[in-house]
Amino acid sequence: MNKSAIVSIAMLLVAAPATAVFAHHSAAQFDFQSPVNITGIVKEARFSNPHARIILQVTDDKRGTRDIEFEGHSRNNMIRQGLMPDMMAVGDTITIRIAPMRTGEDGGYVTALITKDGKAIGNITRAD
Amino acid sequence: MTNMTSLCRAVLASAGLAYFAVAFPAAGEPDLTGVWTNYRNPNAPAAARGTRPQLPLTPEAKAKADRYVEVTTGTNYTPGGYCVGGGMPGSMLGSGGYPMEIIQRPEQITVVYEAHNEVRRIYFGARAPDPATMFPERNGFSIGRWDGDTLIVETSKLVEQVDTAYPHSDQARIVEEYRVSEENGTRVLTAKMTMTDPKFLTAPFTMEKKWQAIPNGVVRTYECTEPDWLDLLDRLMKGEAPKS
Repeated sequence: MNKSAIVSIAMLLVAAPATAVFAHHSAAQFDFQSPVNITGIVKEARFSNPHARIILQVTDDKRGTRDIEFEGHSRNNMIRQGLMPDMMAVGDTITIRIAPMRTGEDGGYVTALITKDGKAIGNITRAD
Repeated sequence: MTNMTSLCRAVLASAGLAYFAVAFPAAGEPDLTGVWTNYRNPNAPAAARGTRPQLPLTPEAKAKADRYVEVTTGTNYTPGGYCVGGGMPGSMLGSGGYPMEIIQRPEQITVVYEAHNEVRRIYFGARAPDPATMFPERNGFSIGRWDGDTLIVETSKLVEQVDTAYPHSDQARIVEEYRVSEENGTRVLTAKMTMTDPKFLTAPFTMEKKWQAIPNGVVRTYECTEPDWLDLLDRLMKGEAPKS
């Protein structure tokens, strides 16, 4: 083997290429720099792979009452963030922190669950 | 552990249980069994999000790879989004955020990458099946051997993949060299990977990957197609027609 011809890339910290390989979708649609809190009633909470799906019934002055679907990490990574399915039981009123859609539409990417005393469970900074 | 291993070997050998006696790593060969995550250098800042690695692609390969990027950039169209594993070398190079588990026996090392439940079986010696009987697949067919304390894995029987950061043809060959070291009291596993490919690459492509051990770590099941099945089952149970 001609070593001089070898293209060599050192990877001492590999999280970045890992995301390049395993990112399940484009994260460009979500604005992780502008998190907002959303409160609503859980209509559905599916902890699944490759993504979690949370549907909340949300009411606000701007758009009234409607069901909004949010995306989340894979089930495996939700649990690693401390986010367990029983924290989002159907019928519960919960507050989640999301990376909103850049378009301003309803929806977003779940980055944390906010407890009643204001604590954040989870600190998700990018889509998985 | 070494004393226990020797004792077990002696007991098993004296009982004539040669097959089971080889279930322990031979002297000099490190036991890679366990759960591993991405290596994190405590003295270095967190890694920034990366860009696609630059492979020395042939014009034909570059055209295919560029086309893949063109039609998928900014979309949710990825193998993982459809519950399809990354395939080698992406499965190996990308593992760690989702951890990997190594189960080591002398005749076979099994690597479970949590993401997408990808599994690689690395066969040793007479345990290895005839390559002619093995289907090409995304993770290929891997044969292992030990060179002192270095595990060498040679992988062939790959399929052409452009849906990866590491495009390759079905002619690709991958050699991995694994070594274990210890840094600040933590076990570190390093793999040096070289991919050659007469159809897609104009030169060998190498990368280095490091993991660190997670004592008592857990690799979780990555069930991925279940939601689609549950949606269908729900419709069937309600007497509704399946979605076309």
